[in-house]
Amino acid sequence: MTRDAGPLIHPFARPLSRVAIRHADSYQRDLAQIIYETLREFALPVQDKCVLLKPNLVALDERATINTHPAVIAAARESFLRLGARTVLVGDGPALDRDAEAIVESMRLREFLGPLLHTFVDLNVDALHPTPLRTRASSLKQLYLPATVLRADFVVSMPRLKTHHWAGVTLSMKNMFGIVPGSRYGWPKNILHWAGITRALLDINSTVRPDFAIVDGIIGMEGNGPIQGAPKPCGVLIFGDDPVAVDATSCRIMALAPERIEHLQRAGHLLGHLREDKITQIGESIPTVRTPFAVIPSFERLRLPPSSPS
Amino acid sequence: MPNHLPAGNDTPSTPADESFLHHVCVPFLLRSQNPDGGWAFHPENPSCVEPASWALLALNSISDYPQAHRAVQRGCDWLRAAQLPDGSWPSQPGLAEGSWVTASACLALRSQPDSAGAVARGIHWLCQQRPSEGRLWWRFLHWIQRSSAVVRHDLTLPGWSWTPGTSSWVEPTAVSLILLSGEAKDSGPPTMARRCRQATALLYDRMCPGGGWNSGNPIVYGVAGEPQPASTAWALLALQEHPERKEIQESLRWLADIYPRIAGPSSLALARICLRTCGRTLPPGPGFQQLHARNEFFRDVSVYAWVALSLVPLQPWLSWSALDRRQP
Repeated sequence: MTRDAGPLIHPFARPLSRVAIRHADSYQRDLAQIIYETLREFALPVQDKCVLLKPNLVALDERATINTHPAVIAAARESFLRLGARTVLVGDGPALDRDAEAIVESMRLREFLGPLLHTFVDLNVDALHPTPLRTRASSLKQLYLPATVLRADFVVSMPRLKTHHWAGVTLSMKNMFGIVPGSRYGWPKNILHWAGITRALLDINSTVRPDFAIVDGIIGMEGNGPIQGAPKPCGVLIFGDDPVAVDATSCRIMALAPERIEHLQRAGHLLGHLREDKITQIGESIPTVRTPFAVIPSFERLRLPPSSPS
Repeated sequence: MPNHLPAGNDTPSTPADESFLHHVCVPFLLRSQNPDGGWAFHPENPSCVEPASWALLALNSISDYPQAHRAVQRGCDWLRAAQLPDGSWPSQPGLAEGSWVTASACLALRSQPDSAGAVARGIHWLCQQRPSEGRLWWRFLHWIQRSSAVVRHDLTLPGWSWTPGTSSWVEPTAVSLILLSGEAKDSGPPTMARRCRQATALLYDRMCPGGGWNSGNPIVYGVAGEPQPASTAWALLALQEHPERKEIQESLRWLADIYPRIAGPSSLALARICLRTCGRTLPPGPGFQQLHARNEFFRDVSVYAWVALSLVPLQPWLSWSALDRRQP
């Protein structure tokens, strides 16, 4: 069982990518309308399809500052159903805590989505299939991956806009670590660290490339992310069908240089567009929403110079 | 073999607990056994060692259930057949590589007749396994980079990893230690006592400041990690030898304090097993019936099994032998 992740295309042959930035200053706003209207602009092929929303669920989150906010997840689910999707599932495999139910209850996901039994999938304990990796950036060669991910017609990576103490940033590509199942690799999925975060990220994203990305940047996290950083209001949602371009744009909004983030820089060679001139911007412009995020000292080099044009 | 039961607090379950055990947990576990005798994390998926091990321990701890007795026999047959030639058990069917589930499989089989050989081979494999961070080249690399190290715990202490070739973590170390601590001192491989001492030292080293454990990173970039109930419960169950130690008392206090606010059934069940085993009175907390009504535990077999184990009398599989890990 494998998933058609589409061809790997060199940047010079790849058409321009589109990324939409939408202003959303709070989780109380009508997010479903914003998301629905934006998704319509992308004319996504989701009619009668099974859509899997892959939020970033990391830890217990009673203050709703760590994980993708449940209001955004619920609004995305509603929007994809309005667009004609047959099923919209929500799935993740938290890396540090086996108790996925404790995490989703702590963030009140059930209050936003309704009963979760048939909607939420703990990818850590799903049925698994050995899946050859499409690239050989790491030494992994194959991974056991969840059937729910492999069977989904359309995978949407839904990270929160955060800095990360090991990878620099955690966005739609890093979020895909969550599809690697704990029941095979443990909690955390330490094999990925030993294989090299950057290399493993490339292999995972080349094999299960997200069809779309929605970044929850209404309130992000700066500093010592992904768990212990500080909340950072940014007031945006970022959308796109090229996860590399979405992550690059998200970095620029955080005033970080995507070219200096190793996994993005490498992904820009094969998986999507990193360069700003290859990305068609829809909605807000980057300078109007730019919000510099603090980083840990070892990542100070990631900062964009203050005079940077975008 | 187990020598004695821990001196825990064997408070009888409430009628609601009893009802939940007999009307929800046990029927679910019996119903979800696969035709091959094993259990998957979710009914109808292929059988896996870990959920099968916890389901076996749960059903084996319930008396006067003829159906459970038959299910345990079939389950043990499946589990013995799933053992790899090197004595380990794989985390997924079809894999030829052993993993942390070897410890839970041995715990499940230890009290079963005709399983002594399988358990001995499993223990032998566990004692041979060393995490990768203990290797010389890795220690050298870490020594060079020590000034910029992101973690401050002692990386030379070997515990157990989730999968071969990776680092030590709290849960696999604790479950392996629970298993080995139940073995008689003169049984098992010669390295067993040393591995137990090292694992004990690792668990104390990985405790979060102020008590409790998380997956195994107590401090990252100088910031204290948040403890988690399940990891804390596993570590405390593995460290019963020194109940008077300050670290144990702090961690038990943390677990008892957090108990009423635990939101997940698996964490609650493990915390309950731990507090009872350590002789603590259970604080008022959420009832399993109430938690089950939310999402039916996502129909995860291992969660039903842990909940069942938390509702039966104290556990023989948590018993300790006279193995003395304090000797140099």
